Amino acid sequence: MSERPSYESAAARIEEIIKRLDSGEAGLRETLDLVREGRELVELCAAELEAVGRGLEELRLDELVARLEAGGRAPDRPG
Amino acid sequence: MSAARPIRPTGLEGSALKGPFPVGEYAAALRGRLRGLARVQVFGEVSNLGLRPKAVYFELCDLNGALPCSMWRSDYDRLGVELANGVQVVLGGGCDYYPGSATSSPSFTFRATALRVAGEGELLAQIERLRRKLDAEGLFAPQKALPRPALPRSLGIVTGERGKARDDVLAGLARRGWEGRLVWAFAPVQDRRAAPMIARALQDLVVAGDVEAIVVARGGGSVMDLMAFSDETLCRTVALLAVPVIASVGHHTDRTLIDDVAAVSCSTPTHAAETAVRVHCGEARTALTADARRLATCGRRAVVERARRLEDLTRAPAEHVARQRTWLHQMVRELRAAGRRGVQGRRSASATQLLVLSRRASAATADHRRAVAALPSVAGDLRRKRDAARTRSARDLERLRLALDAHDPERALERGYALVEDAAGELVVSAAAARSAGRVSVRFHDDRVTARIEAEG
Repeated sequence: MSERPSYESAAARIEEIIKRLDSGEAGLRETLDLVREGRELVELCAAELEAVGRGLEELRLDELVARLEAGGRAPDRPG
Repeated sequence: MSAARPIRPTGLEGSALKGPFPVGEYAAALRGRLRGLARVQVFGEVSNLGLRPKAVYFELCDLNGALPCSMWRSDYDRLGVELANGVQVVLGGGCDYYPGSATSSPSFTFRATALRVAGEGELLAQIERLRRKLDAEGLFAPQKALPRPALPRSLGIVTGERGKARDDVLAGLARRGWEGRLVWAFAPVQDRRAAPMIARALQDLVVAGDVEAIVVARGGGSVMDLMAFSDETLCRTVALLAVPVIASVGHHTDRTLIDDVAAVSCSTPTHAAETAVRVHCGEARTALTADARRLATCGRRAVVERARRLEDLTRAPAEHVARQRTWLHQMVRELRAAGRRGVQGRRSASATQLLVLSRRASAATADHRRAVAALPSVAGDLRRKRDAARTRSARDLERLRLALDAHDPERALERGYALVEDAAGELVVSAAAARSAGRVSVRFHDDRVTARIEAEG
């Protein structure tokens, strides 16, 4: 399974896709493939932006360390 | 505060100490005692320099300690030197104490009255030596090779808990519209404990914080204040960390070693926060919405355009036949029109030619009639000319005949002349020729006789 692309690589790929589509040189099959890929990347970027847009979550390292030492684990944010 | 002498309270119960004394009296006594200490020379490195209108303030420090110093501005200006942070100096002076007042804080100072610049500071030189060493070991490169996410979900911040840098980092993140997961690792950022605790915080952030980038932030300060960030162990820790570190230590003029080993060095904590989150989230959301709309438009347009094209292609054969039929009809109409135009043209040309020919025939008939009418007259002229010519010819012939007759030899023979010819019939025209011939024939007009030539004698 391929690695999940980073936000910036996804954004850059979206730019490439739109540039290719705007050129009008892509055939129907390529256009549909590019649009599908672009939509997936847009969803990925939207998810990344959503993850950093739910309100600032401030934690203290000493509390995290104490929690880990107590056998817990760092809380994960959904997304 | 009242200027009246304060009422002395009861002292500590059971205490053997003297007093209690009013603090102002004690402070004044302390100043007197400190001023009484021996005046000495001290040397060290200038840091935290501040030039004020009345005095110059700075700290004199070395690796083992520091002393708050001051110098009256008039004394400083008289020396004609320019102090700077990090400069090694020798001071002459003694201890002094400002007891403070109701409106100003008390302070201790080493009041310098003489000063000599002794070269670049050892602290700065030590930092420079360490910088070269770390660089030679290639420790400036690893952090810079780490991938740095433009939009991290979680960030670690190492800073002082009560420092202004904390607010600046938050302001920078707010400016980016970033509201992710922020793990604060508070640590002392100035004293001897600072470097190891910062190094420990960095390692813990990587292990426990699950952060994607770390900002190390501290406001400005003297060389001594910032020494912790040039600590060798801390710098080696940063260099080998698997998470990119963005350093923002001191002001833009300060350069600590952590600035060199970190992935990025920024001039302010705000800038560091913006560097940690390179994407402006609000603008990115707007752009992403636009991108999604453009993608949808592109996809829809691609399908619709091709569907229209297919539809056009489906209609094309019938349209082509119809176009050809229309074209053929047009051609037929044009051919007919051209034919009509051709016949009309030829008819018109024939009529013109007929007219020309009839005019020429009329002219020829008129000429002929004129010629017929003139024929008798011409015949008379011709006859007259013929008769005249005949007369002229007869006259000329007679004249010629007479001329010929005048030259005819027969006519000369008739007048008595004779022709002498030899045996061959050639004329003999001299006596010598006659003698030579011997016999000659003499022809008269009526006949010929033969004669023999004899020599005279």
